[in-house]
Amino acid sequence: MRITGNRMIDLASASTTKNQATVGTVSAQLTSGMRVTTPSDDPTAWLAAQRTKMRQALSQGSGAAVTTSRERLEVSDNSLASMGDIVSQIRTLAVQGASDTYNANNRAGLGAEVQGLFQAALDNANAQGNDGEFLFGGSASTTPPFDAAGVYHGDANVRSVPSNASLTTAVTISGASLTAAQGVDVMPLLSRIATALSNNDMPTLLAALPDLDTAVKQISLARSQGGAAMNALDQTTAARTVLEQDMTAAISRYVEVDSVAAASDLAKASQSLEVSRAVSSHIISVLAPST
Amino acid sequence: MSDLFSLLSVGSNAMAAQNSGISIATNNVANANTEGYSRQRLGDVSSGQPVRIQDNLLSGQIQTAAGSLAMSQAFAEALSALEGGVAGGGATIDEQIGALFSKVGQAAAAPTDSASRDAVVAAARALVGGIQRRAAEVSEARKAADTRIRDNATQATALAKQLAAANTAVAKSGDPAALDQRDKIAKHLGELVGGKARIDHDGQMRFVLDGGAVLVDGTHPATLAATTDPATGVARVEVVNGAARRDVTAAIGGGKIGADLKFRDQNVAQAATKLDQVAFDITTSLNAVHTANAGLDGVSGRPMFTPQTQVAGAASSIAVDPALAADSKLLALAAPGTGAGNNAGALALFSVATQKVASGGTSTLGDAALDIVSSVAVAGSNAKGDVTRDGLVSDNLAGLRDSLSGVDTQEELTNLARFEHASTAMAKFVSTIDGMLGSLIDNL
Repeated sequence: MRITGNRMIDLASASTTKNQATVGTVSAQLTSGMRVTTPSDDPTAWLAAQRTKMRQALSQGSGAAVTTSRERLEVSDNSLASMGDIVSQIRTLAVQGASDTYNANNRAGLGAEVQGLFQAALDNANAQGNDGEFLFGGSASTTPPFDAAGVYHGDANVRSVPSNASLTTAVTISGASLTAAQGVDVMPLLSRIATALSNNDMPTLLAALPDLDTAVKQISLARSQGGAAMNALDQTTAARTVLEQDMTAAISRYVEVDSVAAASDLAKASQSLEVSRAVSSHIISVLAPST
Repeated sequence: MSDLFSLLSVGSNAMAAQNSGISIATNNVANANTEGYSRQRLGDVSSGQPVRIQDNLLSGQIQTAAGSLAMSQAFAEALSALEGGVAGGGATIDEQIGALFSKVGQAAAAPTDSASRDAVVAAARALVGGIQRRAAEVSEARKAADTRIRDNATQATALAKQLAAANTAVAKSGDPAALDQRDKIAKHLGELVGGKARIDHDGQMRFVLDGGAVLVDGTHPATLAATTDPATGVARVEVVNGAARRDVTAAIGGGKIGADLKFRDQNVAQAATKLDQVAFDITTSLNAVHTANAGLDGVSGRPMFTPQTQVAGAASSIAVDPALAADSKLLALAAPGTGAGNNAGALALFSVATQKVASGGTSTLGDAALDIVSSVAVAGSNAKGDVTRDGLVSDNLAGLRDSLSGVDTQEELTNLARFEHASTAMAKFVSTIDGMLGSLIDNL
């Protein structure tokens, strides 16, 4: 085949241009750390990465819900723990007041003390989260669920949150668990005991003592339910952390550059470029007219 | 003596021929780098006329390959721009859909929290903004392709006239330079419209588009007109020859115009349709859940997005419900008839993320959004491959042409030296014969 001088130069030039482009591409990948910068660089890898990012976004949404709920459950648990302590203290004072060794004045003093403890228990029953939502109101969570007399005005609704893309977990404790629906109306019971002591009302006081045991058990049961929910959330958090790490690694594999391989490719491409430049120079010098 | 005169004629003719050879070799060297130049050789010695070294079949193949390469390059470039429009410059629609559902999931844990509600509404507005922006980009891509079609049709008409003029010049003189010029014009015309140029028995070139419409018939050029189709609002391409008009929009399958027609009528149209479908599906699926649930005020029946009645145009008209956009308390995260702290509505909205509510119930919203970009990306990747393939074919044909018709300066310098020596020898021959004649005449 007849090869003209111009053809030789064109071939050498095209080779140099191609090698330059390869060096440029690999350098850009190494600099940016990305192998796939536009979807058409590798449509399959890009699609896989984007699908993983969507799953990651949903997982992160669930994760944020779980984190918020876990924090609220802790506050709820602390409040229930305080209520449990208060009910135990009130039980002790009520037993003392029921003793024949106490007179009306003694009982009045105990009544004032129990009244103060009742107020503290009420404050815990009307505990709020960081955003001001009342934690024990069920779905009626924008107003205090327990009034001044300790009567419950919330509902039995328990909130669930997505713990992953397909499952939900119950994450609230309704104040209904502290009402007669689950045993006794705990808060009115404490108020009744305070009043009975203040008024030296022995029959009422004696009738309330067994209910205090029930109240202690109700609060304990509510705490254990909250504890179980916290455990469940902790497990989903642990699983999700691993899953999201796997997703991040997968996305990296799909679209990020393998630095070691890319550095090797750059070295090879650079060498090819040097060779093609040397060949171009040689061809040009060979074809130059002799003087 | 009469033999001496005839020898003188022979010598004179030979010298003229060698001088023609010198002229041809010099012309070859001068045009070594002229695009489309075919090297010439001394043909008929007696006439001294140059002969063009080329092959019509190869020229035809080069013109066809040029059309294919131009089409591939234009198509790849257009797809690259469209890819930037649907996927570049920020979060993609699928990412914005993911962000919206992520915020809904977060709000499910704190449905009465204004910050969480505001975040959901903000994510919805971002999604709407993203869809509208991509729709505008797709629309711009359509307009840009249309403009290029019109501009290239005007250029093609001008080249058709030039080709007809070149045919006239070839008919008059058969000059190799005119033949080279004609081939060059045909190649450039092919880069615009594809088609084929053929040389008929009368030596005239006819340029025929895919589908059979004749753009240049010897010395008679037609016009390639790009006029607005009233039904679609975009350009249709017609070959106009006097009173006759022939629509070739669907027929042109090569060149830059072919690329832009395919891009506009297939890829852009598909992207626009899919974008409208995704916007419509987002509106209808989320509204269906939202209207069934209640805001903080306990009122249900409100849409999340402004309701849409048809798919066409949904992408550019999608909008967050104005009342909701102004007040996130209206975000329906609770079941109707329950308190504000209920989050059944939020859970229902979150579950839409994994339900197949898009594309006629065949995919999720996220996958439907991904399909828009993926389709363009696959086409773009294939187009890049086509450019490489067509580039190799063109380059190979260019190599064959150069081998046959290209000027090798070393070869021409050798020829030049040969002709110069022959011319010098003929000059001495003529001088010798002249001397002999002179002696004979002096002795008469």
